Amino acid sequence: MAVPLRRTLIALHRATCNNLKSADGWVDVRQPHPLVVPVRGKKRHFIPPAVGIKEKTKADPEARARAAGLVFRQQYVERSINISCTAGIFDPYIPPEGDARLSTLSREGLKQRTEQLRQSAASQLAIRKIKEHDPLFNTKTFPELAQDIFIQAHMALTQFNKEKLHSLVTERCYPEMTRGNRLKTIRWSFVESLEPPRVVHARCPDMVTKTNLYGQVTLRMHSRQILALYDRFGRLLLGSEDEPKDVLEYLVMERHVVNPYGRWRLHGKIVPAWAPPKDPITKTVLIPGPKLKPGEDFDALQFEVPKPQSVQWSK
Amino acid sequence: LLFFIFNKAQPPPLLCPSVRGTALSGRPPAGLHTSAALEVNKNWERRNLQLYPPQLPGEPRRAAEVHHCRRQIKYSKDKMWYLAKMIRGLSIDQAITQLEFNDKKGAKIVKEVLLEAQDMAVKNHNVEYKSNLYIAESHSGKGKYLKRIRYHGRGMFGIMDKVYCHYFVKLVEGPPPAAEPRTGLDQAQEYLLGLRSRTVRHSL
Repeated sequence: MAVPLRRTLIALHRATCNNLKSADGWVDVRQPHPLVVPVRGKKRHFIPPAVGIKEKTKADPEARARAAGLVFRQQYVERSINISCTAGIFDPYIPPEGDARLSTLSREGLKQRTEQLRQSAASQLAIRKIKEHDPLFNTKTFPELAQDIFIQAHMALTQFNKEKLHSLVTERCYPEMTRGNRLKTIRWSFVESLEPPRVVHARCPDMVTKTNLYGQVTLRMHSRQILALYDRFGRLLLGSEDEPKDVLEYLVMERHVVNPYGRWRLHGKIVPAWAPPKDPITKTVLIPGPKLKPGEDFDALQFEVPKPQSVQWSK
Repeated sequence: LLFFIFNKAQPPPLLCPSVRGTALSGRPPAGLHTSAALEVNKNWERRNLQLYPPQLPGEPRRAAEVHHCRRQIKYSKDKMWYLAKMIRGLSIDQAITQLEFNDKKGAKIVKEVLLEAQDMAVKNHNVEYKSNLYIAESHSGKGKYLKRIRYHGRGMFGIMDKVYCHYFVKLVEGPPPAAEPRTGLDQAQEYLLGLRSRTVRHSL
């Protein structure tokens, strides 16, 4: 097809140039004259692969390029990192069991007390550092602000408003809040605050360089909340819509303090080691057991279901 | 597709504005895909993304449903249809057993698809017991064919198809619904009804 098309074009080109030449006399000035040649191609929705293309593409492309005289430049393996939030909770707060009401005379009570003192001293230093960068920060007013952010973030999660959620939640927290929830229905509401929330802990970790500071503030929040979780088919998975529950939470808020446009955002939650176990899900699941050899009896093996240790974790 | 061809000498833009206008609009668009788009219809898989509203307390429990398919299977859609028809309306365990004892090439493929769908149902779609599923829909479809030349004698040729097919399955939670017993009379009545409800075009 290429040859006849070219032939036509050359003919056309010659014709136009000749015309110009005759008009201008024999002055060798070639006035440009755009030519529009519509070419209708065949519309193909699916181009079948050529025969034996599989074997051809399998070969190493770099080796083929090298054989043809091309050298691939060095390929860098690069990984992006996010510096608008930290990757975890720095020196997490250890919530005292029973709200530190153990007597200081007992051994555990004394240990708890000393731990608390050590942590609070570091907290004071961190608060001072945060105040240097964020003059509006105040431990008296901050808890209300943080609680508002918490409520807003969870409301955004129930409506799955991604843009709003990203402004209220750090990049580390976002996947933990949303993973597996895209095809579920969440009904959540904040009923009331049982105790005024308060700041219990503050840290000022840095990342990459010494001056790149982040403020991490832990908040104790005791409130009543309603949660019901439905699966894709609208069947209840967890919780109930008309039964509010008392929740004691330790929230971690974070802000990139050196960034003038940084905002306080929800960063994570601390679950103490002494927290009561979660409500079981209403579903039968298979727990992997030992592999039986022929002639063995399951009851004779005395297999015990492994239980997780009660340790403090964060999410 | 439009090709714009210019003479070698580029025009000074101030001298001929009209020419410049056409030249700008006729520039071959950069960053535009010119290759054919691979149009794959993914509607069957997309049905798994449907979200139902929460059920009210009195409502009967909505059965979970899982859609699964495999595309571009190197097999004939017509041969696949027999297998699809065979397992329609069976419970999943029974369907897998039936396919295990079938010697056709497609039986192995269909069995794999069923096992995948069962696994998906338990892992992603909140199905409690993996045996509590039945095959609500099962059918085959035509895939993208390759065309090849078949050489005949005397300078003749034919075009042959390299056939491919899709297999679609929908699993629904619960025991399989009992088939209604149908007598010969029912069938006869249905046949008559079909005849009487015909539309005869251009008739009185």
